[in-house]
Amino acid sequence: MTTDVTASAPTGASAIVFGAEVAQPPQHGKPGGIMRHLNFGTGLLTGIVMAAVAGWVTAALTPTSASNATFAPDEPEYVYLAVLIGWVIGFMLGMGAFVGPIRWLLGRDITHADAEYMAGKDLGVRRYFKFTTDHKVVGIQYLVVVMVILGFGGILAMLIRTELGVTWAEVFSPTFYNSIIGTHGIAMIIGMIVVMSGPVGNFIVPMMIGARDMAFPRLNALSLWLLVAAVVCLVSSMFVGGIQDGWSVYYPLAAQAPPGMLGYQLTIIVFAVSTAIASVNLMTTILTMRAKGMTWSRTPILVYGTFAASLMGLYAFPFFQYSQILGLTDRIWNTVFFNPVEGGSVWLYENLFWLLGHPEVYVILIPSMAVALEIMPVFLRRPLFSFNFAVAGIVGVVALSGLVWAHHMYMTGWAPAVNYPFMLSTEMISIPVGFLVLVAIGTFWRSTVWTRLPLMAIYAVVFNKMIGGVTGVYLSDVPADQYFHGSMFVVAHFHYMLMGAGLFGAMGGIAFFFPKMTGRILDERLGSIGLWTAFAGFQITFGSMFVAGLQGQPRRVLQFDDMFNISNWISTIGAYVIGLGMLIFLAAIVHSWRSGEIASSNPWGSKSLEWQTPTPVPLENFAVLPVVTERPYNYGVPDPYEAEMDKKDGDLTTVGQVGPR
Amino acid sequence: MSTQAPEVLSPTTGESMATVGRRNTLALWLLIVADAAGTIALLISYTYLWSLNVNGGWAPPGAKLTAVETNNDIPKHMQGSFAPEWPFWAILGIVILSTAAMWWAYRSGKAGFQTALVTGSVLSLLLMLAALIGQWVQISTFPFGPSDGAYASAVIVLCASNIFHMLIVIFLLTGMVNRSRRGLINQQNHYQAQATTYYMTWVSISVLLGALVTTFFVVSPNTDPAVFGSFKQMSSSSAEVSPAPSSSPSATPSASPSDKASGKASDKAASPSPSAS
Repeated sequence: MTTDVTASAPTGASAIVFGAEVAQPPQHGKPGGIMRHLNFGTGLLTGIVMAAVAGWVTAALTPTSASNATFAPDEPEYVYLAVLIGWVIGFMLGMGAFVGPIRWLLGRDITHADAEYMAGKDLGVRRYFKFTTDHKVVGIQYLVVVMVILGFGGILAMLIRTELGVTWAEVFSPTFYNSIIGTHGIAMIIGMIVVMSGPVGNFIVPMMIGARDMAFPRLNALSLWLLVAAVVCLVSSMFVGGIQDGWSVYYPLAAQAPPGMLGYQLTIIVFAVSTAIASVNLMTTILTMRAKGMTWSRTPILVYGTFAASLMGLYAFPFFQYSQILGLTDRIWNTVFFNPVEGGSVWLYENLFWLLGHPEVYVILIPSMAVALEIMPVFLRRPLFSFNFAVAGIVGVVALSGLVWAHHMYMTGWAPAVNYPFMLSTEMISIPVGFLVLVAIGTFWRSTVWTRLPLMAIYAVVFNKMIGGVTGVYLSDVPADQYFHGSMFVVAHFHYMLMGAGLFGAMGGIAFFFPKMTGRILDERLGSIGLWTAFAGFQITFGSMFVAGLQGQPRRVLQFDDMFNISNWISTIGAYVIGLGMLIFLAAIVHSWRSGEIASSNPWGSKSLEWQTPTPVPLENFAVLPVVTERPYNYGVPDPYEAEMDKKDGDLTTVGQVGPR
Repeated sequence: MSTQAPEVLSPTTGESMATVGRRNTLALWLLIVADAAGTIALLISYTYLWSLNVNGGWAPPGAKLTAVETNNDIPKHMQGSFAPEWPFWAILGIVILSTAAMWWAYRSGKAGFQTALVTGSVLSLLLMLAALIGQWVQISTFPFGPSDGAYASAVIVLCASNIFHMLIVIFLLTGMVNRSRRGLINQQNHYQAQATTYYMTWVSISVLLGALVTTFFVVSPNTDPAVFGSFKQMSSSSAEVSPAPSSSPSATPSASPSDKASGKASDKAASPSPSAS
């Protein structure tokens, strides 16, 4: 390690930090202070205690018949809300999230020794159960949390398909069915938003740009544990009536929903804070901590994708968050934002919701496409077909993503005059998305293919993305949408986009970065079986769902006409096949993590910076910060255009080299 | 006082504090983008409902429109029902004074005047506390409650947003006072004061935007809104609760008008909500 605390006196101490002697603030007690005693267990305990106390106090203070809102909440609603707030604050308190701000307030600044303790130095496995700040630990924590979220959502998906497949009987009550529909939807959306930016964005991106950590390590941990706190709120909602109005929780249904709606609202409010913090952290890291020589033309495409997703999340998520804040005040505080009788408007909700709702699709898709483009040059041993077109595609998506939201509202009757402008903008966004697909296909063109598991996932991504994209063009069309709106066709379309492109891309990303993250190779045989089984199941499920949609089957409806039976039987069989494939892939991850083949530091022969670090990656990532001297994808014969651009950069060096800062 | 001092390094990363400060400032601007998006969501909500006057429900009770009126010409018979305008501007004035004090403190600290840094921070904190109290008094003296129409809801939530911002600023200023008093913020390491000042500037703009809409968008321009009647909420304890729907939709008869009107009551009867038991 590069640190040597040369004195431990309260004042006048100094430490050697990455080769420089740095004056240290007074050290209060042992390094880490109270953080030494805080971990996931104390977080759980404090969260449960504060939830119980908040609920008890609220129950004692709230009049029994506190029902004066238009859609009146009763006493249990206030109690449930208090329990949720108590849980979130207590959990974060018990994890140690407030220690940093309080120390700052008191003027007890963190020393280098404190920072190293909080980064998990010498803590072994315990660091994964603490408010650890090292970006690699946070990346692993994100990976586990995301797998839990997606697993939870996946189980709910199996229940949905079971209900729809067993057409001769009613498996669940209508209210419970509605509840699992809504909870599945929002759980999967949350999981997919963080599936790339969480594990890969945190673990890989700082190393990929040649940084020692994220710009704000404590904010990094904060964003993760806020996500955990939020997900508990979501799961709890299932015990108090659930989310019965789909993941979009339109009004007035949401106003009439059982108390589970509060769980949804608080989940989104907390998750939006987590997302904003994570976005700011990632963007600042990328903008200010890239290695010397890493110009924008030398910045890997995955970094662009992560940056773009963060930017979209940053400006769009607050609209979603405030839609839920206003819904919460309507419910608890008797405001009337979404109550048309008293002067509110349900269209206001729909606008606020979709102002995030559509950019969110790209928050999921762009990192997934970017990781696909990151993987391809490595396994095809050639530069990206056109780096600049890929960047243009990402920029175009970001620019247009905020201008397409109302295509979700064609059929609601809101402002019919703007339907056609939104149709135009929605169809326009297929152009930059098309850039990304074309760059992928162009990179495949006449290349030497080294087919390994990560690349297999990219085959799946490109295939699914094209089907999802083409069917999306039909849905963006106002006349066609009149028929398709609210049908299973829509469900199949967005699953092709979010799952087919998003999740399969994430599987490729995990397979690709697995050796760096765990020090072991992901079992190719088991992983491939899982991947292709899930892929086959995916086509069966959602291909059949397209047919059901074309026949006119409405979504979110428990019972349907007999004419849709065959499509639904097939979809349900396909869903079980997906589940089987995902279980096999999960088994591959668990098995490989425990006892897989030991990976070298750069098993794929990649040229980007994260692979130039040792495995396992040391705490400081790089002993000496690297200097970048070439573009990231200069494999094989140089592309003449890329070579020309390198000339313009005044640098034709072909070997990236590390050196002193 | 502006002598060149040796470069201060971050105790945790070993980087120059100037580098860390610039990074923090960038992050702050990005956070302000997110914060601003939230404020814009509130302003959109306000102006959207103001422009539509859905069901004639924009104005608080007693201020329903009877004729075509313009935005800046509130008739006398309606003046008592909307919020008085001057408190919005008074609170904005205090917030701006607080921000100005912090600007002065920051610039003084940067120039090496440590006493002025401390004094300005204290003054700024006191002014922001006054603004917070003023905001609280304003909310508690509105001539309406949150359920008295869309205007009332929107104004109260805008003011609540101001309180949220003020609480953050008070936290930051408390830290400023303590840290500048201890010398942790000084001429060489003034970046936290700078970030606080920038954030306060944004908060001032946010309060200004709120004051502008609550002053100039008061009476809805939609004087002939579509009116679709009223709605009588049936409490869950009402004796006229409609029958609970069957657990099987196939066995559920088509909803009668009374079923639809009963809204939550019937819904709750079917839900596992504790109130239904």
